[in-house]
Amino acid sequence: MFKENNKKWILFFAALFIICIGAFLLLMRSGNYGTVAVIRVNGEIYEKINLDTVTVAYDIKIKTEYGYNKIHIDRGSICVSESDCRDQICVRQGAISSDGVPIICMPHRVTIEIEGDSIDA
Amino acid sequence: MPKTRKLALMAMLTAVSLIVFVIEAQIPPLVPIPGVKLGLANVVTLVAMLILGKKEAGAVLLVRIIMGSMFAGGVSGFLFSLAGGVLAYAVMCLTVKIFPEKLLWVVSILAAIGHNIGQLAVSVFVTGTPSILVYAPALIASGIVTGAFTGLGALYLVRALNKLDKKQV
Repeated sequence: MFKENNKKWILFFAALFIICIGAFLLLMRSGNYGTVAVIRVNGEIYEKINLDTVTVAYDIKIKTEYGYNKIHIDRGSICVSESDCRDQICVRQGAISSDGVPIICMPHRVTIEIEGDSIDA
Repeated sequence: MPKTRKLALMAMLTAVSLIVFVIEAQIPPLVPIPGVKLGLANVVTLVAMLILGKKEAGAVLLVRIIMGSMFAGGVSGFLFSLAGGVLAYAVMCLTVKIFPEKLLWVVSILAAIGHNIGQLAVSVFVTGTPSILVYAPALIASGIVTGAFTGLGALYLVRALNKLDKKQV
């Protein structure tokens, strides 16, 4: 059905690759400042924190059947500071403070995302 | 191909893909984006599909996913592996006949993208966090790179295996 046209396919996928990378970079930066961090474990809300009212930084330890995560909460930002998962992606991702890209610890089914401005959102 | 030979080959391919899978799981991820992975075990699935057939490749894949999560992925990994694997397999079955052998890397890219989309869909379902869909473009981009790599690997392996086969007979 398709001819052995290597060049066309290389061009097609190269273009798609660049578009996807561009789209992802745009999405990462397009996040709006938010104040409410929502921590979910296994699909259920574990805790909602208003990051604007944090005065002293503190940690939350989440221990589930899937594993252990330590979440560090500071005024305006939140990050995973410790995790006993294999890939450590959640720790390496660093702190987030906007609703652009959420933090995920997939092996432990933990996600942290930041939502708009009000706590009842 | 005699039945016994086929069975032995399937068992060997399963073992190889399992070893590749377990070794790859020990390597820390290069980029801090969840779901980005080389997927070297996919080379074996492609090779199985080309030299044995669709059914046999499906069996090799399924056994590798089940045993792989026992050895490396854990309970949580099984669901993601399965979703990704099944979707990648379906894409492979649909496209492998359409493209000539030389364009196996295109089939592999499409399968890798299918794999990543499947995993992302299950992730949204499991975590109840639809906003992780922002990773979709990054995962498609990663599927293009890893898919091309594994596809070319599979193509060269199949060609080498065919040569070996002719020499023996």
